Amino acid sequence: MIERIVSKRELSANGKNMKLSSVKVNRQSKIDLQITPMIDVVFLLLIFFMVNLRVVQAERELDPAIKPKQSGGSSQLDFEPVIVEIVEGASGQYIYRLGASDYVAAELKTKLVNFPDKSNAFVKVSDGAPFGMAATAIQHCKSANFQSVSYVPGGEK
Amino acid sequence: MKLSKRKKRGGVDVDMTPMIDVVFLLLVFFMTISQISEIKKEKLDLPELQGTQDQLPSSITVNVDEKGQIVVAQGPVSINQLVNLMQKELVKVDQDPRRLRIVLRADEKAKCQTVNQVVNQLSQLEIKKIRIAVRVP
Repeated sequence: MIERIVSKRELSANGKNMKLSSVKVNRQSKIDLQITPMIDVVFLLLIFFMVNLRVVQAERELDPAIKPKQSGGSSQLDFEPVIVEIVEGASGQYIYRLGASDYVAAELKTKLVNFPDKSNAFVKVSDGAPFGMAATAIQHCKSANFQSVSYVPGGEK
Repeated sequence: MKLSKRKKRGGVDVDMTPMIDVVFLLLVFFMTISQISEIKKEKLDLPELQGTQDQLPSSITVNVDEKGQIVVAQGPVSINQLVNLMQKELVKVDQDPRRLRIVLRADEKAKCQTVNQVVNQLSQLEIKKIRIAVRVP
């Protein structure tokens, strides 16, 4: 029995394409993910938002009522209201006047907190007084849990 | 005998994954805290107080700077122009002053003369309440 080695060329020439070896070619399909451009884009976005960042200071509100000067503060009230006046003191500085006594902001707060009747409070503000003091007086009245706090423009100068 | 020199290359493997995670976190952080819409607020030194309520949308924001100049969205205005603006806003709310929300943002160093004028005009328009803006300490 003669074994004849048939070459592949002969086989293909005959129209037969026969696999002589069954070697499975394992082709591991590799997907290379380029993350460098993605990182570049992410950094750009980060820089964009950092540059456009604006720090906005938080604001809140006080909500006093408004009482015109003419109506005063004691006409139809059952209890005598607390009247905080912002007036110019002897030294030229503006101070808080409650009744017959003068106070600074911290003392006013303590006085208001200890006040027995907390129904109504009026903050009378003279034209020359700094607005910060008026707002502080309203805040202290609110913090002392007065039921009603009113802003009265144009008090005693 | 070595016929070919083969240099040992000491490769340094940099693991990029944690860096990308951190960068994404930073990105999300800045995206959430930044505001794309520009908030136009007059730069004033508001009184530094706790306030009693959070800021709500307003019909008109009246700014009073340190010198006593009244500024609204359109720019500096006089007290009479402010009154006209208020009256126009009142028309929008069917002349119901309770529906008009006015926020007063005044510099803490401003004298109360202008504020008192504004408040007097508001009371003439039957507006009983005003909201005073403060900055949270």
